[in-house]
Amino acid sequence: MADAKFSRRDMLKVAGVAAATVVGLQVVKNANANEPASSGASGSRQWAMVIDQNKCTGCGYCVMACRAHNDISPDITWNPVLETEKLGDKQTYLPRPCMQCTKAPCVEVCPVNASYYRPDGIVMMDYDRCIGCRYCEVACPYGARSFNWKAFDGPNPAVPEWGEPEVARRPRGVPEKCAFCYQRIDRGLALGLVPGVDPDATPACVGVCPTGARVFGDLNDPNSPVSILLHTNPHFRLREDLGTGPRVYYLPATAEA
Amino acid sequence: MKLIVRIKSFFASTWGKWLGFLSIFLAAGLGAGLLVFWKGLSVTHLSDLVPWGLWITIDQSSIAVAGGAFFLCAGVYLFGLKQYQPIARTATFVGITGYTMAMLSLILDIGRPDRFWHSLVYWNKHSLLWEVTMCIMLYLTVLVLEVLPILSSFEWLRNHYPKIAEKLEGVHHYAPYLALLGLCLSMLHQSSLGAMYGVLKAHPFWFRPDVAVLFIMSAVAGGMALTVFASMLSSRLTKRAVIKEELLERVSNFIGWMMAAYLYFRFWDALSMTYTYQAGRTEGLNLLTGGTLSFNFWVGEILLGTVAPMIILINKKARANQILRMAALALIVGGIVAYRWDTNLTGMFVMVSYLPGDLTVSYTMYRPSIVEWIAGFGIIAYGLTLFSLGVRYLHVVDHRIYEEELETVKATSIESVTA
Repeated sequence: MADAKFSRRDMLKVAGVAAATVVGLQVVKNANANEPASSGASGSRQWAMVIDQNKCTGCGYCVMACRAHNDISPDITWNPVLETEKLGDKQTYLPRPCMQCTKAPCVEVCPVNASYYRPDGIVMMDYDRCIGCRYCEVACPYGARSFNWKAFDGPNPAVPEWGEPEVARRPRGVPEKCAFCYQRIDRGLALGLVPGVDPDATPACVGVCPTGARVFGDLNDPNSPVSILLHTNPHFRLREDLGTGPRVYYLPATAEA
Repeated sequence: MKLIVRIKSFFASTWGKWLGFLSIFLAAGLGAGLLVFWKGLSVTHLSDLVPWGLWITIDQSSIAVAGGAFFLCAGVYLFGLKQYQPIARTATFVGITGYTMAMLSLILDIGRPDRFWHSLVYWNKHSLLWEVTMCIMLYLTVLVLEVLPILSSFEWLRNHYPKIAEKLEGVHHYAPYLALLGLCLSMLHQSSLGAMYGVLKAHPFWFRPDVAVLFIMSAVAGGMALTVFASMLSSRLTKRAVIKEELLERVSNFIGWMMAAYLYFRFWDALSMTYTYQAGRTEGLNLLTGGTLSFNFWVGEILLGTVAPMIILINKKARANQILRMAALALIVGGIVAYRWDTNLTGMFVMVSYLPGDLTVSYTMYRPSIVEWIAGFGIIAYGLTLFSLGVRYLHVVDHRIYEEELETVKATSIESVTA
């Protein structure tokens, strides 16, 4: 047979195939121009949330409002309120929505671009594109994603007491998470409202909070409620060491407050 | 009546009994699979804390132990080790068996199997999983092309459609190109299957570059081990499998040295984790060396999975004993499965807190549900069935066949291998 010796001609052919493959991949690369933004910091508005641990009483209203407005199953919590340390007799709490990371591990790892950045920094999920591999869930350092292990059928026990659903229910087989009530922001902006100021244009958890522990607004606007709070108060973000760049800031609890 | 008699006599034969045995698992697995599609993943014991479990292990393991195909094909067609060509033939068939097993377990494991094609249409080039998916799809194509000449050995095809058989055989001309492509694609995804874990900062036990290196080394050793083991076992069970002892003996020796290299890297990988405390990583190592997974680690992975088979395969006398050698090869395969299982679970069992203050660590657990086991055994039974059919009808373990020779015989029937 001819390939008794793997001749120079054969070697050249093989090299040719390899080169063609590389060129082909480059062509495909250029054709695939619908790249997601490499981080969420490109838009003129940059939404952020500030949560004041001094004011949070752990009442859980935000959890219920979130479930109603986003039509979430009672098995799932986008926004749990966690118990943190005790300062004297005072129990402190830490509500944990999705951090809407600037460098989000979930967006980096999603094989199909179902997780992506909006220009305003919100980390979105395309529930119609997701294949349900759960890599994002494994990658998220904050446990912000919940998988729909089963379908959520039937009435939502949080409705109508805590609000009316504003988004479609997610199907079985995809993970879901908080997206800063993007639907309220978008509709509010269309009506000329200011997110963070007008409750109808602001995430549901912010509006329902009885103590005003949550504040929302545009980081690019120096006069927004979040900008003012962050300028005048010490604050921290969760696991800053990971370099994820969360858009949820916390004002730490103090013993005297 | 005649039909019943024929069926009866079929199941009375050893081959019939073996197929009957496998079909029980296949039917149960099919049932479990349908249940998963119908009820969704709620029938599993997977959770938001452990979203990947038994099926990911089967997926990872079957790709790893199918890795002999690319390595042996590269050796035969790119580095001129032509005498090993019959083993490469077996490895290629083990390869396609393993990769299709992986496909089956993935289709079960993803929440939206109806959207599996999205991974080919929507690209996120930052994602290791995207890279792995692409490489696996392309490599599966390569494997199919590499298997075409093997299909030409199917006697029925040769008798009824000699022209087609001849065409299929002709694909063999492209073997060197396919081997090169296979080598590139496999080097990429076999390591990326480890890097998939290695890039996740959320799990400090995984977050280290060595995972990719260990995955590819274990895949090369485990892939060849399964190929040689399957060849030896087939030759003992059926006359349709004919082996050349000295070829398998030499490959086994190489596998032994490969295991020595793997053990060396595994050792410094583990040792490097002991030098300083790092939340999550240290606890992960403790879980592996002294916790819930310690039996798997010390006995399954290290003692039986690496050290014992390494000694047997390197030692000339021990290796010459066929039973001992087969045991060693099987242990290597078991060790690779244990390594994939342990790696996947250790990273998820140890959870690092994201709350302010010192990083604290908590633990979680996972045990596969009965449906996961039944579906898993179904996938393994599928692999065994496919390989058995290959041995019986396609002569995938027949060291008398060199494909160059086959070609000169053209589509006239090959020498009768059924003794």
